[in-house]
Amino acid sequence: MSAISRRDLFRSMLGRRVEPQAPPAAAAVIDAPPLALILDRFCLAWQGSFCSVCSERCPVDGAITVDQGKPRVNPDLCTGCKICHDVCPAPKNAVFLVARKPRQGMISRPAETPPFP
Amino acid sequence: MNLIERRTFLKTSALAAASAAASARAQSPAAPASPQEGIKWDKAPCRFCGTGCHVKVGVKDGKIVAIAGHPDAAVNKGLLCVKGYHVGGILYGKDRLTDPMLRKNGVLGKISWEEAIDIVAQRIMKNPAGFGFYTSGQSTIPEGYAATKFMKGGLSNNHTEPNARLCMASAVTGYISTYGVDEPAGCYDDFDACNVLLMWGNNMAEMHPVLFSRILDRRERGQKVTIIDLGTRRTRTSEFADHYLEFRPQTDLAIANCIAQQLIERGAWDKKFVENHCAFRADADIAKPDLLGVAISFDDFKKRIAEYTPESVSELSGLSVEQLKMLGDLFADPNIRITSTWCMGMNQHTRGTAINRLVHGIHLLSGHFGKPGDAPTSLTGQPSACGTAREVGTLCHTLPGGRVVTNPKHREQCEKYWNVPAGRIKETIGYHTVLMFEKFCTPKDKGGDIDTIMVQVTNPGQTLPNLKKLYTAKTGIEDKFLIVSDVYPTASTEIADLVLPAAMWVEKNGAYGNSERRTQQWFKMVQPPGQAREDVWMTLAIAHRLFELGHPGMKDKDGKFIFSFKNDVGNEVPVWDYAHFHDINADRVLYEEYRPLTHIKHKHVAPYDELVKHTGLRWPVVEQPDGSYKETRYRFVEGEDPFVEKGKGIDFYHSTTEDGRAQIWFCPFERHPEEPDTEYPFWLCTGRVVEHWHSGTMTMRVPQLRGAMPNAYCEIHPEDAAAAGIGNGDDVIVATRRGEIILSAWINGRGRPPRGSLFVPFFDEKRLINNITLDAYCPISKEPDYKKCAARIRKA
Repeated sequence: MSAISRRDLFRSMLGRRVEPQAPPAAAAVIDAPPLALILDRFCLAWQGSFCSVCSERCPVDGAITVDQGKPRVNPDLCTGCKICHDVCPAPKNAVFLVARKPRQGMISRPAETPPFP
Repeated sequence: MNLIERRTFLKTSALAAASAAASARAQSPAAPASPQEGIKWDKAPCRFCGTGCHVKVGVKDGKIVAIAGHPDAAVNKGLLCVKGYHVGGILYGKDRLTDPMLRKNGVLGKISWEEAIDIVAQRIMKNPAGFGFYTSGQSTIPEGYAATKFMKGGLSNNHTEPNARLCMASAVTGYISTYGVDEPAGCYDDFDACNVLLMWGNNMAEMHPVLFSRILDRRERGQKVTIIDLGTRRTRTSEFADHYLEFRPQTDLAIANCIAQQLIERGAWDKKFVENHCAFRADADIAKPDLLGVAISFDDFKKRIAEYTPESVSELSGLSVEQLKMLGDLFADPNIRITSTWCMGMNQHTRGTAINRLVHGIHLLSGHFGKPGDAPTSLTGQPSACGTAREVGTLCHTLPGGRVVTNPKHREQCEKYWNVPAGRIKETIGYHTVLMFEKFCTPKDKGGDIDTIMVQVTNPGQTLPNLKKLYTAKTGIEDKFLIVSDVYPTASTEIADLVLPAAMWVEKNGAYGNSERRTQQWFKMVQPPGQAREDVWMTLAIAHRLFELGHPGMKDKDGKFIFSFKNDVGNEVPVWDYAHFHDINADRVLYEEYRPLTHIKHKHVAPYDELVKHTGLRWPVVEQPDGSYKETRYRFVEGEDPFVEKGKGIDFYHSTTEDGRAQIWFCPFERHPEEPDTEYPFWLCTGRVVEHWHSGTMTMRVPQLRGAMPNAYCEIHPEDAAAAGIGNGDDVIVATRRGEIILSAWINGRGRPPRGSLFVPFFDEKRLINNITLDAYCPISKEPDYKKCAARIRKA
């Protein structure tokens, strides 16, 4: 694997084309509130285990609903507050925050959960 | 991959293994795992619940760097729950105990191991009969065996108890009084074959998630499985249930009787099965019930059960007549396979033995037994409640391999095997958990004849019921000495006089036995921190120090020390000297010494060296003509169980009546001793959450788990909350007759209790719900009821 940036790694995980480009100005990424996105391949509930912490701790009623144990984000209600990302207990955090409109370098940078020492 | 952070990559690959597991379940080929540089992988059973998942532990530079579900393990096929994925993190909390500490003038100060072992030995030497050893369903098999041999075969002291008394004791008495021998006849394979899964007060999605996903996987593959959740509160499990049947607490007794009544009323019981393999039984005196009861006739049984009609039970339980009839229909149908499961809902019950017996009874009466998918199976809470507490016998009335101290033959067998003088093992039953701590918290002149307790691998300071009476009351009483071996500071170490730092999980060798009779083994993979040492070593070192001090019980008939560890060339290895403890695999020696003792009750556990090769084997494990070993899925069934003779079909070969029959019990519905009233109008139930293991000692030190579930709460119904002026997240005061605590209210949370009912998890050491729980227990199993007591709630 050649040198790739973290952003490109995430892009590739989302099935998007990886192309080398200069990082965008930070302001461009955060000028609109981002949207929470649950990646099913990392999410415990979607992987056959049981978890609904993101929905339980979401401060907006109905923004993350759970059906048959599986959480889903309602984009119309998500405020991008990032609490779901902060509380996600999956070994690889399953909640990503993405910019709402496609633009250059569209995926915002999520805070890294400290790994266990 | 040089630029991806290695740890990120590892975590990703752990999850990839999980995805692979999911695809393996869907019967498509799993993707091969990527090779990782410099990481040594080994197998171990997960440290947490009784499911017994196997994990792969990746070690690099002396540290656990990765955890993955073991793809070849039959139990979990690579899947883990949220705790399992973080099991490696529990070793690395910042405040691990690293030195022995003695309390002087109220403050704990470091001492050496030699001093610590000597202090314990001197305390025991002073009053061997006043010593209690409190171990755990998380103790390994060798730890439990060493403890029970040291106490019963050495000190002639039966005051040894595991915390499994608080957890599994009612299941044990249920199995023994029904089949004459402990532990389930069925296994997890039943979940793959049943048409109906009936859960009795069992929140499997939260407590045994990997097992529950096994059932849900079948649904996703298009198979029809009817899931029935029989509970007192809507849980995460209810969401997946076809039928959620909500009954009033304690009326499970009446519901089980109602199923039996319907089978008889309709003439739909399995006449052939009952005639050939069963007998009927009841307590001689219901005010003084005992383990074995007396035989009753079928007509007597019929007469006693007759009052439990769907109509009358409907009034009592709150279930509708239709719901009760649906349960009757299911058991009356011989063409479907029904698996019943239960855990603490039935075991932590003031009539725990009775409800266990009744559920076995309806399976036997209806013939839903002994075929794949037809089984009553208790799920254990702890990883080795079966393997250690029940099979090794660390309870106050048991000896290894299913023997009991009250049986002269059993005592003689053990005395002979251990080469100790006849009469060494005391015939009187020791104090059970609640009584042991009650005696410890009572002054000597008032009958408190336990003055020293040693605690290993458990946290009674948080998990005993009615803590103020049974634990904290110890402080201030003269000459009481509490020794706690643990890995972190806990509610137990808080008032301990001597604290011993322990090695945990893969910092030591170990063996566990899970819910389905599966014995599992692992090797030490990393060093414990500081001076932390193995619990089994502590027991051996204390025993040997007592031997040096001249305690007569530490000598066998020939005057030699009761424990012996010989290396390959037959030389004695002094393992009690820690410098030599790792010269030999002491676990293997103890396990192999224990193994022949399991044969009398046909619980043949697998040889240690076989366990090394497998991700667990289900006993009885019997050697085949070709020298291989074969495990057993279904006990008492011809063709599956090697101890059932050809032509018998089904044989309960440990029958209490010695005629190959299992007992169908009649036990009446009896009211709970503390029902809600006008003063305390709510039922209070306690339990676990998926993120935390028991008292949270380990899981609260993993940032992801603590972050996901940071503190205890009180679940309450929205209407009850509105009536009391309580909003979501408000501080509330929950009070019982034993005290009160402050919690935050959670309305419409993970679980949804009905009106008049509250739920509080017990993992939070800052909000000790067990300060206010009830210490009433089942008269036979002596297991307390943490699930029911009367409470009231108000806004703080």
